[in-house]
Amino acid sequence: MQELLGHLNKVRGVGGTLLVSVEGLTMASQLRTGADESALAATIGELLGSAQRTAQHLGLGVPATFQAITDHGGLLILAAGPAYVAILTDAGANLSLLGIEAKPHLERIAARLAL
Amino acid sequence: MESELDRLRKKVENFPSASMFNRIAELARQAGDKDGAEQACRRCIKEFPRSSQAYVILADLKIAEGKSAEARQLVTTAIEKDPRSYAAHWLSASLAESKEKAIHHLRLILAFKPGDLQATKRIQELGGVAPPAPPAGSTATVSSARFAARPSPTSPPRAGVGAITTTSSKGLQAGIDAPSPTSTPVAAVSINTAIRQTMVSRTGILDALCGEPGVRGAVISDGQGRVVSARGLAAGQDELLAALAADLGKTALEVLRPSGVEGISSWSMGATLGQIISFNRGELTVAVVAEANVRPAMLELRARQALVDLGGA
Repeated sequence: MQELLGHLNKVRGVGGTLLVSVEGLTMASQLRTGADESALAATIGELLGSAQRTAQHLGLGVPATFQAITDHGGLLILAAGPAYVAILTDAGANLSLLGIEAKPHLERIAARLAL
Repeated sequence: MESELDRLRKKVENFPSASMFNRIAELARQAGDKDGAEQACRRCIKEFPRSSQAYVILADLKIAEGKSAEARQLVTTAIEKDPRSYAAHWLSASLAESKEKAIHHLRLILAFKPGDLQATKRIQELGGVAPPAPPAGSTATVSSARFAARPSPTSPPRAGVGAITTTSSKGLQAGIDAPSPTSTPVAAVSINTAIRQTMVSRTGILDALCGEPGVRGAVISDGQGRVVSARGLAAGQDELLAALAADLGKTALEVLRPSGVEGISSWSMGATLGQIISFNRGELTVAVVAEANVRPAMLELRARQALVDLGGA
């Protein structure tokens, strides 16, 4: 799994990746040195919980993607089977292109999780 | 029956927001209560120091009192707060001591509202040359920090650009005094027109946004998740969306804060049966609920335009 995230980290614009469960538990991490992956995973878990509540209350089904854009980088969370991959992006990263380029990697991660 | 002004005055005590203070100021002014209008502006400036609209309304009040110098200072502050405030630049042009300065401010309007008919006409009245309008159908430029809308010069005026259409703005419609094509002195430009151009009905803005195919509804909320205006959502869903959107944005910021991020300009959530896209400008947020197959880029375009139309609120 680390290797799969490592490949994803090589995609242009990716600054770090984290595989988390819906509950916010770290499953694998390829973050930059110094990042507190447990704290990050917990916050992402909280974010996923909020997203699920929002989708449920508004009849939107199951959340599949979440992205946040800022001037200093962004956050892209994509469903990968039963888990989610959080991608921290560099400033100026093309999130749409990144989503497309990340897709085959996510499919591999989902396939690995299904084993 | 309780007037809108009384209702807002009660509501603002529990749910203060810059837009509500500005609306109170505008309604108080229309009712002839200049002190009440100024008091609302002062409170808005005190509690929401980043809001530029209160400075603009206050400037207009000072002009009515004949205090041009004070008005000029207030408008300068408004522009510092929001360099893209249509009303502030229009007022600055109206208050300018020379035609050159007036034209300068009108040109700044055209920099962020290319092809704006009022500004173009006014520049021509003042003897200046307006920059060429963008070609019809030209593509809008989007960046993460700023958005420059490029309306077609032939398109009908949108809400907020010379068009105030909702019933809630009856008072605003009364006595609208658009700049006359023949009025050449700088000071003769109607100052109230500028105010009214940006005292846009938020209802009108959301009507346009919700008129887009696939959009289920939208809500404008303040930084605390309190509803400012909503359209197309079932009873109770507007407050729910505003609160949840604020929560999601706040949590997303927590995720990114260790990376040095201090604010999120937009976020979106795609789900199996729909999507939410949210944009921030100042203290206001527009959250849009749409079908899953609606292109997010189109939603972004419309939502950001709505935020631009909100002006300095």
